Amino acid sequence: MTPLLQFVDVSFSYQQHLVLNDVSFSIEAGECGALIGPNGVGKTTLLRLAAGVLACSRGTVSLAGRGLHALGRGEAARLVALVPQRFEVPFDFTVEQIVEQGRTPYLGLFAGFKHRDRQAVERALGLADVTSLRNRIFNELSGGERQRVKIALGLAQEPRLLLLDEPTQNLDLGRQLELLDSIHALHKEGVTILAAMHDLQLIPGTFSSVLLLEPDQEARKGRPADILRPDILERAFDCPLRRHPKLVSENQVTLEKTP
Amino acid sequence: METEIAEKIEPPASLRADRRLGFSDRALFILIVFVLFVALAVVLLLSAGMGATRIGLREVLGSLLHGHRSQSTDSVILFDIRLPRVFASALVGAALSVAGLLFQGLFRNPMADPYVIGSSGGAALGAGIGLFLLPRFSFLGFGATATMAFIGSVATIALVYWLARIGGRVPVVTLLLAGFAVSTMLSYSTYFLVVLDDNFGLRTRVLASWLTGVIAVPRWSQLEVTALMIGCGLIFCFPLARRLNTLALGEDYARQVGVQVERTHLAIILTGSLITAAAVSLGGVISFVGLIVPHMARLVLGPDHVRLLPVTAIAGAIFLVLADTLARTVLAPSEIPVGLLTAFIGGPFFLYLLRRTRREYAF
Repeated sequence: MTPLLQFVDVSFSYQQHLVLNDVSFSIEAGECGALIGPNGVGKTTLLRLAAGVLACSRGTVSLAGRGLHALGRGEAARLVALVPQRFEVPFDFTVEQIVEQGRTPYLGLFAGFKHRDRQAVERALGLADVTSLRNRIFNELSGGERQRVKIALGLAQEPRLLLLDEPTQNLDLGRQLELLDSIHALHKEGVTILAAMHDLQLIPGTFSSVLLLEPDQEARKGRPADILRPDILERAFDCPLRRHPKLVSENQVTLEKTP
Repeated sequence: METEIAEKIEPPASLRADRRLGFSDRALFILIVFVLFVALAVVLLLSAGMGATRIGLREVLGSLLHGHRSQSTDSVILFDIRLPRVFASALVGAALSVAGLLFQGLFRNPMADPYVIGSSGGAALGAGIGLFLLPRFSFLGFGATATMAFIGSVATIALVYWLARIGGRVPVVTLLLAGFAVSTMLSYSTYFLVVLDDNFGLRTRVLASWLTGVIAVPRWSQLEVTALMIGCGLIFCFPLARRLNTLALGEDYARQVGVQVERTHLAIILTGSLITAAAVSLGGVISFVGLIVPHMARLVLGPDHVRLLPVTAIAGAIFLVLADTLARTVLAPSEIPVGLLTAFIGGPFFLYLLRRTRREYAF
């Protein structure tokens, strides 16, 4: 089967600065992948390349077997949605007004919202569990609520692949767990997910695979238990875990947690 | 989990909470547009009757319905002076307000007005050149000042856009700054023209009044040309308004949902500048309308540009027709520059709206 998302020898540089070098991996339909790696390794860049916001300098990114560059921007946006980490909204937009923007790839220049679009928005609001917030002003919501609205915005695109950039960032423990539940529920609904995650302890139990990016190394992918091992993490994050007994024990706790 | 259960128990989608009024937003919006339309019609008819010679509402309506001018003085005044001027102010008001809405949305800057990227400086220099150097020129019924102001306005935008272009992209901050710099240079070049003028008299005064905004009595042919330009521009604004909503969520986001960001920026700038230039050729540089009318609409309606667009256009038209009517009647037979009145009427009303809103006005 053709993978839903495939990177083949992808390189990308911002001006002179090389961020990704010959990265190859693939995500199958139905996967729930966590993207991990040290700061600055290019996780956000990788997600933006996958969403077609950036174009790679070398290599190919394909969605459902077709090169991203060959797909039109609108067509790509119907296949993949990126929920960005930073999302600032001027003006007093309500949650509903914001989520409606997710329908942009489906609307012609002069055509208005159709029943089909209305349904997609309702479904997205429901799936991300923000239906009750629809008339609230986005900027007045709490961090956890905003994160769920952002996910609804991505879902309104009805993507086959949902990319999340640090969805649990700045959330308290309870909100983090709620968000993981949402991700789990989406995965059950058949949405393929790739999420950049900082907090490795949140990965087991929710994600079915882990993609590890390391500087100057090939990308590695495997089951969470195969990647989240002290020896691998030590090298990837350049930190001697064994000398920090607290970290090791916490990691072991997470690894032992059953889904 | 308990939290899960708690979240499942929520009101059904159909039960919408905190509606501002008893009926839906959509109905409220349609009502507002309808009321504004009626108000515009009334204001147009009434102000056509006002002036040195008062013409009753019944006569105005009668002349309009018969469509043909008679030989009576009233009819001549109505068709040759009042109606063109009233329609011109409506057009100018709508154009400037919508251009202000577009630029405030594009630059996410509450201080943006129709002239923000240099239209006014270019228009001023164009008008100056027209007035001082090409006094006999005329085109499609437009005199030298109007034509050159239009050309100057459009040329300046093109120059600013080209200057702000860095590596295939036009960052909005660079665009604003380049617009400000170019506009200031051109404005002072205009003053230089004035200083060079050896007979400091009439022409300088014409230019000065033109720079504070005076809606002259246009010929019908002029009205037709500008109405066509502004009308096309306004229609083209509807898809742009939806794009502005998407762009408000950030350029990256817009790109992600398939919007061609650079092309959209260009379309917004071109449309806004063309309708501004058309307005400038009719009424000179009128301040304040394009700045505050969009804010007024936003205070009442919220930030959705698709709804703001028609409301801003009609409200802008009403506002400027009222201001211009006062401008030509308060001290009749002499005229007050309309720009002065827009500030006098618009300022207090805007401040009232600003203070009366319950929620902090977010931009």
